[in-house]
Amino acid sequence: MVVKGWWWKFSGVIIFLYVIIGGLTIPTRSGITKSQPGSAQSGDSISMTVEGYNTHFLSAGLNRAWLKLDSLYAIKAKNVNATSEVDISITFDIPKIFPATENVQPLTLIIDNEIDGAFVQPNSLFVTLSDSSYSDKSQWINAEMKAFNKAKGIKFPYRNILNETIRNTFFHVALWFAMFILLIIGLYHAIQYLRTGNFDHDIQSSSFNRIAIMYGIFGLITGSIWAKFTWNTFWTTDVKLNMTAVAMLIYLAYLVLRGSSSDHDKRAKVSASYSIFAFLALIPLVFVIPRLTDSLHPGNGGNPALGGEDLDNTLRLFFYPSIVALILLGSWMANLLIRYERLKEKIFMK
Amino acid sequence: MKKFVLFIVIQIIVLQGIAAQSGGGDFLRSVGKIYSVVAVIAVIFIGIFIFLFRLDRKLTKLENHIKNE
Repeated sequence: MVVKGWWWKFSGVIIFLYVIIGGLTIPTRSGITKSQPGSAQSGDSISMTVEGYNTHFLSAGLNRAWLKLDSLYAIKAKNVNATSEVDISITFDIPKIFPATENVQPLTLIIDNEIDGAFVQPNSLFVTLSDSSYSDKSQWINAEMKAFNKAKGIKFPYRNILNETIRNTFFHVALWFAMFILLIIGLYHAIQYLRTGNFDHDIQSSSFNRIAIMYGIFGLITGSIWAKFTWNTFWTTDVKLNMTAVAMLIYLAYLVLRGSSSDHDKRAKVSASYSIFAFLALIPLVFVIPRLTDSLHPGNGGNPALGGEDLDNTLRLFFYPSIVALILLGSWMANLLIRYERLKEKIFMK
Repeated sequence: MKKFVLFIVIQIIVLQGIAAQSGGGDFLRSVGKIYSVVAVIAVIFIGIFIFLFRLDRKLTKLENHIKNE
């Protein structure tokens, strides 16, 4: 092969192809996009019209529905009538008396059938209590919420608001992970340069850092586009966003620093030590500060690490390969830069 | 630095084009917002293209330098 190290470069391409094709074609699970009405009085008999997403109401043999108050109390639908695969009307008799005394109670709608499994819409119906003076649970115990079905086949999770953009886990999130690995490689070479003084390490360090910064800018822009359609704005005051932007600015200063000096050795030394400083600044900015507060990011808040409730095993099937693919592709691009710089050095240092 | 300015300018043009033809993002919100995922992949693709373009230009300069020596 004429391409050096072709096997890992091509495997990067093939894995990324697998991520794009699989990540875009596998359907999400079913969900509820709309339901009417949104509010009711206790004691009413209401008919809710519900619009599903990726549902199979007509093909399914038995559709069941509940309104859930909390982990203990729920009521079962009186009548469930599917009008199309995605439209269903559900009749509920809402009891007069609730097992709670607050004036307004939010209820969660749960629908279950054997094809789509069980899915929910939180706070689907707000019920105003006509008599909230005392609580009684006698009308709330015959719900028999059990024997839920599981969705068939491999499907990505459905999240309200996120919808299909949950697939951005494979692109936007993986870019940040890959960026971090590339920065670690750059850091390693920066330290090696300071230890040995071998100029080749400076070339490798700066090339890996450059590709990592490019990934970081991709990450900011892809995140911004995604935010426009989920948070309805390109940029928010979310701590994670601002801290990452600061970290990226520190790294942009690295590029400015490299461009500012024409002295070969000085540039290499200063930029190697600066990249160590920048990496050390990156860790608290990206990993510590956002975890001290809550974030708008899905699956955040607390200490999610590589998990949380939003990253399930079907997403992992593409998320981890995507990180590997982006690291391989990034290394390929860095490799091209390294070879270019080596050639340039050979020609101009003669 | 030119790279980033160019990149951001292109992004703004692309985004405005998307917003204009879709009536304020309705197209990108359709079918469970799947097209915003497509936009994200397109950004990565355009970014890698810009990288390749710039590298190609640098290599051409180097080649010309060798040729002129």
